[in-house]
Amino acid sequence: MKKLFTLDRFVALFLIALSLLLSESVEYYGQELIAEITILAIFAMSLDLLVGYAGLVSLGHAAFLGIGSYATGILTVQYGWEMFPTMLISIALAGLVSALVGIFVVRLEGIFFIMITLAVSQMFHAYFLKNREFGGDDGMPGIQRLDLEAFGLTVFDPADFAKFTLIVAVLVYIGLDLLMSSPFGRYLIGIHQNENRMRSLGVPVEQYKLAIFIIAGMVAGLSGSLQAQHTGFVSPDAMFWTVSGVVLIMVIAGGTGSLVGAVVGAVIVRLLSHQISSLTEHWMLFMGLFFIAIVLFASDGIYGTFAKYCRRSRWWKSAGNSSD
Amino acid sequence: MKKMYFLLMVALSSLFLLTPIHAAEPVKVGMILPYSGVYAGLGKEITRAFELGLEVFGDEVNGRKIVLVQEDTEGKPNSGLSKTKKLIFSDKVDVLVGPVSSGVLAAMRDTVHNSKTPFVIANAGHDGISGAKCSPWIVRTSFSNRQVVRPMGKWMYDNGYRKVYLMAPDYAAGHQMMDHFKAGFKEAGGTIIGEEYPPLQGTKDFGPYLAKVKEAKPDALFVFFAGGPAIQFVKSFGAFGLGNTIPLAGAGWLTSPLYIKAQGEGANNIIGSANYIPSIDNAANKAYQDAFKAKHKREGSEFAVQGYDSARVIVEALKAVNGDTSDKKAFMDAIRAVTFDGPRGKMRFDSKNGNIIQNIYVYKNSKTNGVIAPSVFDVIKDVQDPSDSCTM
Repeated sequence: MKKLFTLDRFVALFLIALSLLLSESVEYYGQELIAEITILAIFAMSLDLLVGYAGLVSLGHAAFLGIGSYATGILTVQYGWEMFPTMLISIALAGLVSALVGIFVVRLEGIFFIMITLAVSQMFHAYFLKNREFGGDDGMPGIQRLDLEAFGLTVFDPADFAKFTLIVAVLVYIGLDLLMSSPFGRYLIGIHQNENRMRSLGVPVEQYKLAIFIIAGMVAGLSGSLQAQHTGFVSPDAMFWTVSGVVLIMVIAGGTGSLVGAVVGAVIVRLLSHQISSLTEHWMLFMGLFFIAIVLFASDGIYGTFAKYCRRSRWWKSAGNSSD
Repeated sequence: MKKMYFLLMVALSSLFLLTPIHAAEPVKVGMILPYSGVYAGLGKEITRAFELGLEVFGDEVNGRKIVLVQEDTEGKPNSGLSKTKKLIFSDKVDVLVGPVSSGVLAAMRDTVHNSKTPFVIANAGHDGISGAKCSPWIVRTSFSNRQVVRPMGKWMYDNGYRKVYLMAPDYAAGHQMMDHFKAGFKEAGGTIIGEEYPPLQGTKDFGPYLAKVKEAKPDALFVFFAGGPAIQFVKSFGAFGLGNTIPLAGAGWLTSPLYIKAQGEGANNIIGSANYIPSIDNAANKAYQDAFKAKHKREGSEFAVQGYDSARVIVEALKAVNGDTSDKKAFMDAIRAVTFDGPRGKMRFDSKNGNIIQNIYVYKNSKTNGVIAPSVFDVIKDVQDPSDSCTM
């Protein structure tokens, strides 16, 4: 029987409420940080679709974020488009590119999949690095934000922009949560757990993998478009492989296989690196120690471990839940 | 006894009188530089030199102490921008100093401009900042890319190099540098007889490119390479044995003191243009190098001098406004009005675009006692950025 209030949704609700509260109370910089983290959280969720659900560990996911960013930048700055259709086209374009890439890469597994996604994303990085029309390695400044006057939001106010990104993130979360609870999502999890069995049951495994690869690419494109609007700027660094690496670390640190885990990972990793890097030049050392600690003591990730203990606890069971 | 009390009271009350002055809010300088990643060395170098500058020129103005708030850009535009916002809106710094890379600078520019934060650029050479992207809130103590390369075009023509071959890595800055050189060189009447743009990353063997250069027999080869590729290129140039037949010229970063040792024989006889080399002969440079050597036991680099001069600019501007930064406009005007004879010679800011007006030094590497080092060959005085599209 499906329950409406799973632990994941409960925590998601809590996070949303917390960030809405914070976006009112913190000052300018905190609001900027909320928007930044929310955008990262959307990006992390999109990667978790691949890593946690379909078992496709991609080290090139930033390519689709970058494509979303560049499409937004190029269409609005160089062609003078309105932001709303630009965002839709950016998402579609990221989807199209991920379809083209996906056709070739979803057949591969494990280390081969990691290497090919890394290679493809570096190709995109190299293209934008060298392309002088789009600013080369200096990047492309001057990107505006979506006009939301009609909804009573002025997006140049950082609090309002933070709220806007939060709303988008909630919509993305609901959409992906429904998708993953649907038969489509169940099939994916099945493929992750035992691909051969699913194949022998007659499931077109490659098509399912391709579909999730495209969806993940589109959501990454959306986060890219938001990031370009937030920073007003896009450069090839947005699609460098280290960006893919950092978001992969976020997903793993948070806990793979649950959307909330990806969000928790994005929040904690970003906040930590912000705080520690203000304190010391050697902040990367402390981040490294932190990740080692997670791998040693919370191998399911921060949220994964939390959820495990929570589900075992009496309180959660007494609230009428099975230890799912 | 009463007298003792009286004296004590006087002493205590004088403490109270002094306290408000000492407790005055410090002047916060936001150091927005790379402290990790490929450019970490440069970020630290500029910070050290800035601290040295404060020691030499005074770290307190009218009772306000100058304190640094360091933030790591990682050399990445996105991190740089987010740290810039932290410094401006959370730490509320009075003035920003940095960054190293042009990409970070381009990303920061709008935020700095819109928040009206005084900003002293201490390295990044992005041309746009002295052009279409200029701002009344930004000055630059380092250089604009074209400022260093363009005058070299004319200089080479004037010194008898009429046919020149060009080579630079295939990325935005590489092409920009070559375009600026071409502009200066062609204006003077020279001819470009060939251009090569090898890939930025992963060119291990410059042999095929150098073979083409050899065949074309130019009067000189003008290149732009920096960092790792510069080491690789100069080594290949030496190994290829072109040094005896074709003179090699480039912008200063080609044989920076930071890596000239790794480049070997190839670095000998190279002609370059730079805004600073350690052996410039003037009193201010001697004082700077002495102070730097005393503190760090080695020569101050061209990156360090930009941090040192930035500190001086800020200290002198603070003196001009008596340490009062509450009127940001007045403080910024004071920054723009600073002028002094520094290690690089006479420097001042261009009223048109806030870029430094400085001497460009043509240097030549030569070998003395087995060590290859640059010495000043010629000086091009008071070079301005040829700003065309800046409207402030």
